[in-house]
Amino acid sequence: MLKGVNLRVERGTVGVLIGPSGSGKSTVLRCVNGLDPFQEGEIAVGAARLTPGLSNARSRQLEQLRGCVGTVFQQFNLFPHLSALENVIEAPIHVLGKSREVAMSEASALLDRVRLADRLSAMPHQLSGGQQQRVAVARALAMKPDVLLFDEPTSALDPKMTGEVLSVIADLAKSGQTMLVVTHAMSFARKVATEVHVMFDGVIVESGKPAQVFDSSNHPATRELLASVDPV
Amino acid sequence: MCGWDQILSDLDRGKIDIGLNGYEYTPQRARKYRASIPYYIYELALCARGDAKSIASWSSLREPSADGRRKRIGVLGGSAADRYVTAEFGTTCDVSRWEGVVETFPLVDSGRLDATVQDLPALEFYLRQLKRYPKLKIVDQPVQPGYYVAYARWSDDSLIQEINAAIRTLYEKGTLRRIYEKHGLWNASQERLPEVWKNWPPPDNFQQMGVMDQVWLEVPLFFRAAGVTVLLAFLSMPTAVALGLAAALIRAWPTRVLGGDGSTATPIGKIARGVTTTYIEIIRGTPLAFQLFVVYFVLPDLGVTISAFWSGVLALAVNYSAYEAEIMRLGIQSVPVGQMEAALSLGMSRVLAVRRIILPQAIRTVIPATANDFIALFKDTAVCSVIAVEELSKQYAVAAKSTGLYLQMAVLASLLYLAMSYPLSLLAAWLERRLNRENSQ
Repeated sequence: MLKGVNLRVERGTVGVLIGPSGSGKSTVLRCVNGLDPFQEGEIAVGAARLTPGLSNARSRQLEQLRGCVGTVFQQFNLFPHLSALENVIEAPIHVLGKSREVAMSEASALLDRVRLADRLSAMPHQLSGGQQQRVAVARALAMKPDVLLFDEPTSALDPKMTGEVLSVIADLAKSGQTMLVVTHAMSFARKVATEVHVMFDGVIVESGKPAQVFDSSNHPATRELLASVDPV
Repeated sequence: MCGWDQILSDLDRGKIDIGLNGYEYTPQRARKYRASIPYYIYELALCARGDAKSIASWSSLREPSADGRRKRIGVLGGSAADRYVTAEFGTTCDVSRWEGVVETFPLVDSGRLDATVQDLPALEFYLRQLKRYPKLKIVDQPVQPGYYVAYARWSDDSLIQEINAAIRTLYEKGTLRRIYEKHGLWNASQERLPEVWKNWPPPDNFQQMGVMDQVWLEVPLFFRAAGVTVLLAFLSMPTAVALGLAAALIRAWPTRVLGGDGSTATPIGKIARGVTTTYIEIIRGTPLAFQLFVVYFVLPDLGVTISAFWSGVLALAVNYSAYEAEIMRLGIQSVPVGQMEAALSLGMSRVLAVRRIILPQAIRTVIPATANDFIALFKDTAVCSVIAVEELSKQYAVAAKSTGLYLQMAVLASLLYLAMSYPLSLLAAWLERRLNRENSQ
């Protein structure tokens, strides 16, 4: 799938991956959080390292890596048998060993930050898509990750809900959270990205500041991509 | 050919014209059918292992055995032996009722029954012919003389007269004695036959209770048997679900839903999956009644001896576990792969994710199917009657045959079955509605 990707995201910045379907954008993310295996190279997040293959050492590496990487999925993947609050406190209690009181107070603060303070006890099926995705963001933030990965966070949402989620992500960017976002939302990318990476056919073909990539790119793949996508 | 206890109902149905198979004369039967004069005087004898010191006499049946439990006596269900033993020793012993005579011998021989009580001619025949059980001996004196007669339908009075004449002729000519001697059945008692014929039929002092009184008498026994049915069901179903869940997890472990990578690499994994799949296919492919026989009669040969009740629980649990395994596996695979991905990316271990995220969802999906299986299991407890477990169906059969009130006893049994399974149906329907509400957006 991937044919040689060199990607660097500086702490406190937002990297955005754009590209046509099948270019490997989601695969890059899934390699970073260990969901997909890779054959060559290395993932480094802070002090955590992930090497190729499926060895026993890998599971320890994965544990350390996933402790500093959070993921928000296109399909939200909220746990349907738990309420919004319970979704957010689940991992802090059972993975980090926090007490229920501490976890709940931190979770309430996070859900407040994503503007869902009034929906703490709602079940996922009672929430709109946009609300579910915001709960998913709070859930990932509860583990205090160094890096937050977003895999097409608004692709399953209608325009109205897309806006509310993107504004949450923009707020996170302002607060200095390191993020790597795969998205089709070009105007969002322009506003929030520190650096934009264009992927095509398993490699990164162009990287640069948003203004440069969106307005003055000479790369044929980039121009083709920008011409075909609806501006959001 | 039919079961021994079917003969009279076959007579009613016209499948046979004469019932002649060691049927005892009872006033109840004589009211419904024409009885001939007796052709044999029988007695009831106690049979146990010669080396069983705890069974030395009839009175020893009233005492508990060495380890404090009640003694177990096997009888032919619905026979005179059944009535005698139940009346005399029913409160101090466990009476084990079987469909045939032969089943009791290997059980007494192996110690799973303490003794058996049978008609003397049958006992002597089986012990002498089936030399397979040299350890079994007749203990103490025979008791309770009774008469074997031929039965015909009420309307066939002339047929009975002819049979009577035939019996007298055979006796006078000495042919009857020769036939009995040939099979080792002749004894001194038979010489009293002519005397018995003179005063035949005996006066009918039998007070026939009203039908409702008879039914009322059986009600406590039916409730007790229903309790056994409930115990069988509530002990075996959770076991079946637990076994099924384990089997499903073993089989589905490599799938992405449970955090596997889709490959079936490790040798332990391959073996475990192979064993589990084979187990499921064998259990689903053989009948429950057959599995029950294996558990009760065959396992002792492999060193594992289990009582009838627990054999029933085990067989039901194992049988249903194969179906629950498949249901659970499908339930697990219906959970979206994204659930495991989200759990893993939050730092959960595979085991933690399966336990707290995947299984709760899988179980909710399968609850309606499992609840329906539980209702089916309730009915399947009836199969345990073939190893003499006194559950509700067995109780019905015993009560119906001894009172002759087939219809009334059937109504009683049905009411109890419905009283037990209807609430379960309502519960299953409620669960299904609740789950549908949760899943709809």
